[in-house]
Amino acid sequence: MKFRTILTIIGVVIGTSSIIVMVSIGNGAQKSITDELSGIGSVTTLQVYQDLSSMGMTSMGGGKTDDKTILNDDAIKDLKKIDGVVAVTPVVNLNGGEIEVDREQYGVSLMGVDYAVLEDMRYVTTSGKKPGANDENSVILGKDVLTSITYTGASTQLTESEVNPEDLIGQNITMTIKRTNANGEEEMKTQKLKVTGVLEATGGNEDYSIIANYNLVTELNEWQTGRKANVKKQGYTQALVTVEDSSVVNAVTTEVEAMQFTVFSMQQILDSMGSVFQMLQILLGGIGGVALLVACIGIVNTMTMSIYERTKEIGIMKVIGASISDIRNMFIAESTMIGLIGGLVGIVISLVLSVLINLIAGFFIGGEGGVTISFITPGLVIFALVFSALVGLLSGVRPAIKAANLSSLDAIRSE
Amino acid sequence: MYKDFKLGKEDINILKGINLDIEQGEMVALLGPSGSGKSTFLNVLGGLVPPTSGDIMIRDYRISEMTENELCLFRREHLGFIFQSYNLISTMTAMENVALALTFAGVKKEIRRERAIEALEVVGLVDRMGHKPSELSGGQQQRVSIARALVNHPEIILADEPTGNLDSKTSADIMEMIYRLNREENQTFVIVTHDPDTTKYCTKVIHMRDGLIESEVNQ
Ligand SMILES: Nc1ncnc2c1ncn2[C@@H]1O[C@H](COP(=O)(O)OP(=O)(O)O)[C@@H](O)[C@H]1O
Ligand SMILES: [Mg+2]
Repeated sequence: MKFRTILTIIGVVIGTSSIIVMVSIGNGAQKSITDELSGIGSVTTLQVYQDLSSMGMTSMGGGKTDDKTILNDDAIKDLKKIDGVVAVTPVVNLNGGEIEVDREQYGVSLMGVDYAVLEDMRYVTTSGKKPGANDENSVILGKDVLTSITYTGASTQLTESEVNPEDLIGQNITMTIKRTNANGEEEMKTQKLKVTGVLEATGGNEDYSIIANYNLVTELNEWQTGRKANVKKQGYTQALVTVEDSSVVNAVTTEVEAMQFTVFSMQQILDSMGSVFQMLQILLGGIGGVALLVACIGIVNTMTMSIYERTKEIGIMKVIGASISDIRNMFIAESTMIGLIGGLVGIVISLVLSVLINLIAGFFIGGEGGVTISFITPGLVIFALVFSALVGLLSGVRPAIKAANLSSLDAIRSE
Repeated sequence: MYKDFKLGKEDINILKGINLDIEQGEMVALLGPSGSGKSTFLNVLGGLVPPTSGDIMIRDYRISEMTENELCLFRREHLGFIFQSYNLISTMTAMENVALALTFAGVKKEIRRERAIEALEVVGLVDRMGHKPSELSGGQQQRVSIARALVNHPEIILADEPTGNLDSKTSADIMEMIYRLNREENQTFVIVTHDPDTTKYCTKVIHMRDGLIESEVNQ
């Protein structure tokens, strides 16, 4: 093989491997983030909030749609009626609780949900079980509920507790809440909570909360604030809507938004991230594309030179009976081979680079189980192979036609 | 048949009315001073350059009206060429050079090899079949090129000064071989030559001068 041909192949190798590596980095970033988000099963849960902007409007204007925009029990019933909705629960939160485990204090917040629909919600317990509909004081612990977050200066640190939440299953824990009464004195209230299970990671607030019965949390809230909640007029701040599966998320979202509520779902994040990653891939792939274009010019150049050098040979072949298409195909096959070999070597190099990138990234970023920055899919490999062969083929067409149309006699006379 | 070449804006007449019949199995010698148009005539005959006017008929094929691609296919089946400068492909061995002609005819690889060896046997070069042209003497290279012309078993072989680069002893050997092929295979040969000695093997001797046939002698 000629040195020139090897250089040309190296050009294709650089082109293909830069496309593969570039796209694989886009792929990897997408994969690691979507894995993180969708692995947690909360794609089928929508968070519904009162529409903050229209709330201001209603209090001022008082139009006909007033009660529609309030997230009260009527609204919860309406939400339940939407096609594809499996369960709806209001959510009440209680902050500032404290529990003691092994003589360690942990600040906790309670997330109160309707235990009647708990069974239909997609909460999965890693161990233990979910409380029944009438278990007033039973709770499920979020998996990170004992992980304390400390802010030291600018950095945030997560400290895992030595206590595994699963060890608390079946035990009663005591939670203390405080309030300041009218006289400015601090009052305390203790509440026994029976732990029945630990929740699998959801990626949402649940991870850092204790899931409790809606009634209990409301009761504690009323004690803490000293006034009764007026749900009918003010509504709940939040409701959770569980849908059948991810395919109906968008349809349900549209309907809920039509009811003038604000909806937030993992699906929306995934969708918007999907388009960001697509842009990223197009951009990175484009950079590789330019490299391959340069390789393309290299192939055209090499083929033209090779035809120039082999003019006599082409003439001889034509004299002894090679047809125009024989000559053309011969050169196209040659340039396709350059593309294909370049593509194959490029793929091998990219696979090695991909592993190296992930190793190096893992070294800097840390984290157990390795890091996926670059992810090469079989589809990407096939695409790269076909694409590089195609680049070779197309680059060869013009020089090959030129070669095939050489006059045999002129060609044979050339030296 | 006429052939002009364009030289700048001017057309110069090289072949000025050639009229010739050649029978199957004939051995024709084409003599004449340098520049008289012998090579041009042979090339037009083989379809390597088109005539300016007139007709060339080989059996029922009208060479003068064939397209470039038809000519390629025609040459593949019916014509063999031998050149003064051998025109072998320098990167290929003798065997590969001979077999190349069969590649384009779509002959299978093992059969190509078999037939190339057969053709090299005819010219007495089987023992050198693995050699590249640069490793062969002029006479041997010309024999390879003859084998290549033979390998398709064409009816007609056109040779342009096949012994022009060879010493007289080798020339005589080559001509002897061509003559033998002509007799044994009944192939038609048209041979351009400088050397009047070679004409003793020929059935027809044509003298050209200045683009015209000066004399045509059957012997
Ligand atoms: N391609 C060409 N273009 C212009 N003139 C040519 C070309 N080929 C040959 N000639 C001219 O035609 C004449 C005949 O050449 P050629 O057939 O090679 O003669 P011969 O083979 O008898 O020596 C010469 O004068 C030569 O210069
Ligand atoms: Mg000549």
